[in-house]
Amino acid sequence: MAEVILRHIAKAYDKGTNVIKDVNIDIKDREFVVLVGPSGCGKSTLLRMIAGLEEITDGDLLLDGQRINDLPPKDRDIAMVFQNYALYPHMTVYDNMAFGLKLRNMPKDEIRKRVMQAAKILDIENLIDRKPKDMSGGQRQRVAIGRAIVRNPKVFLFDEPLSNLDAKLRGQTRIELQKLHRELLTTMIYVTHDQIEAMTLGDRIVVLRSGDVMQFDTPLKLYNQPANLFVAGFIGTPPMNFLAGQIVRKDSTLCFLSKQKTLTLPLTDTGHEQSLKTYEGEEVIMGLRAEDISVSLIETNQTLYVTTIQVVEHMGSEVLAYFTIEEQRFVAKLSGDTLLEFGQSVYVGWNLGKAHFFDAKTELAIR
Amino acid sequence: MLQTILKYSLLVLAALSFIYPFIWMLSASLSSESSLGELTLLPVDFTWNNYVTVFTKIPLDRAFLNSALVAVLTTGLVLLSGAMVGYALARLDFVGKNIIFYLIIFTMTLPFQITLIPNYITMVKLGWVDTYLALIVPFALNSLSVLLFRQAFQSLPQALIDAARIDGAGELRIIFQVLIPNIFPTVLTITILTFMGLWNEALWPLIVIRDESTMTMPQLVTLFSVGGRAEGQLGVKIAAAVMLAIPIVVLYLFFQKHFIRSMASSGLKD
Repeated sequence: MAEVILRHIAKAYDKGTNVIKDVNIDIKDREFVVLVGPSGCGKSTLLRMIAGLEEITDGDLLLDGQRINDLPPKDRDIAMVFQNYALYPHMTVYDNMAFGLKLRNMPKDEIRKRVMQAAKILDIENLIDRKPKDMSGGQRQRVAIGRAIVRNPKVFLFDEPLSNLDAKLRGQTRIELQKLHRELLTTMIYVTHDQIEAMTLGDRIVVLRSGDVMQFDTPLKLYNQPANLFVAGFIGTPPMNFLAGQIVRKDSTLCFLSKQKTLTLPLTDTGHEQSLKTYEGEEVIMGLRAEDISVSLIETNQTLYVTTIQVVEHMGSEVLAYFTIEEQRFVAKLSGDTLLEFGQSVYVGWNLGKAHFFDAKTELAIR
Repeated sequence: MLQTILKYSLLVLAALSFIYPFIWMLSASLSSESSLGELTLLPVDFTWNNYVTVFTKIPLDRAFLNSALVAVLTTGLVLLSGAMVGYALARLDFVGKNIIFYLIIFTMTLPFQITLIPNYITMVKLGWVDTYLALIVPFALNSLSVLLFRQAFQSLPQALIDAARIDGAGELRIIFQVLIPNIFPTVLTITILTFMGLWNEALWPLIVIRDESTMTMPQLVTLFSVGGRAEGQLGVKIAAAVMLAIPIVVLYLFFQKHFIRSMASSGLKD
């Protein structure tokens, strides 16, 4: 059992600026939770607060119901993997992994057993006598993970553990981390700025901005039902397209009227009519996923707008087409065999039922 | 080609001019008193007499042990205290950290001669005159070692300390088991500089030690040479000086490479 609960957690430095503001998160036993956000959003600080490396200014941090705010890191029963590995350069792989166990006065046989077991899981048995400087980045990262595993902690903390690896190794290690989580059945908290890592690894994801939790939910919920404009724009590649406008009533039909009034989209039968009714006359922002936009060279019954292709990116399996609608940059994700060229005039359309609407003032999703 | 020859000739000439006095000292100490006027490289009328005289007149062996004891103990203390203070200044957060650091740096600018008298008075008041304490305690913390340790600790990544904390290490263990092994060159530099400084120190012992059995080698040799007990015999004085130099020369041979690095990084101090 290892349940981590953050209750009204806040962090302020001397100058009075709150880097973490009233964070409430409940992490269930054996859950893999990812903290994600742009740099400077406080995700690493939050992780370090859970680790005990940063003081908690306000609120309660509970581990299995016990308040651990004032416990030093060593008494928290947590292990942490650092971005730059933080292996002890003067110790061998074995000693690096055994260090924490030795300090806990564990019998030598038990230490050996645990270290060798972890080395086996991570496939680093043949490196056991090497020093960190004689290993590659990927190998060092494994040792760093091994050092956490041998401790058999209640909670694993990962601070951007993959960001120093190259793209290929990153993908591999991501899969191995998932496997590891299944094998170890331990609570894991993982910090990253990479939303793909967050989406693929997390059972649930905490999206942070300037020390505030924007949304805490499953990856699919974040993608399909973003709580606000920030989450909508942050989660998903390519990012969501946005178009500002307002809700108006035209000939007794509720419509979305774009800011420059070039688009009037009736909301009848889109599933949005009910929720947007109260927004009549108010400013809203419409969000569209790139894959929900269709682009064609001929006019179709879905066509809503005519524009010019500005950039085409051929990714092999898909094509990304960039154009503008009312001077707003849009990107559409199309199938890989779509033939498009720079400068072509295209007919753009979408199913309004798939659109997301946000209050322009509060930036909250309208549902 | 010509340039190379010129360069090497100059270097050899320079090296010879540095080594010559030392070689002369060695050979003079092994020559008879009457032949000292000749500036030769080899001993004239070879004799051990000068050394025999030194050892019979003054307790040089005892002084050697005193010197070794004082230098080793004090160097150890300098390393301990320097590491701890340097770590605190580099890695811990507390009120007045910078002020303390600048104060420590400020003490480096004070010539030893200025603090000589106050220090002596302190020793008298503490009743430490004529004890090893007077030779050890005033030198157990030095600002250069604090500065060098601080710089070295600052160059290490914070994650190393964080990892050790999570592994369960306390601050002392972090300093001595996790960080120190990774700044070994700094430790060696401090050791060599401190040890040499202590070994060669003659002025302070002359002031606080009067009891011959507590005297250090440089003090004893100085007193012997200028105090009239050598009875004006130059050869005997030189033999005493050789005895004084030998330990450092031996140390130099062992740690040659590090000595040079230490000297290069000691631009901070006299």
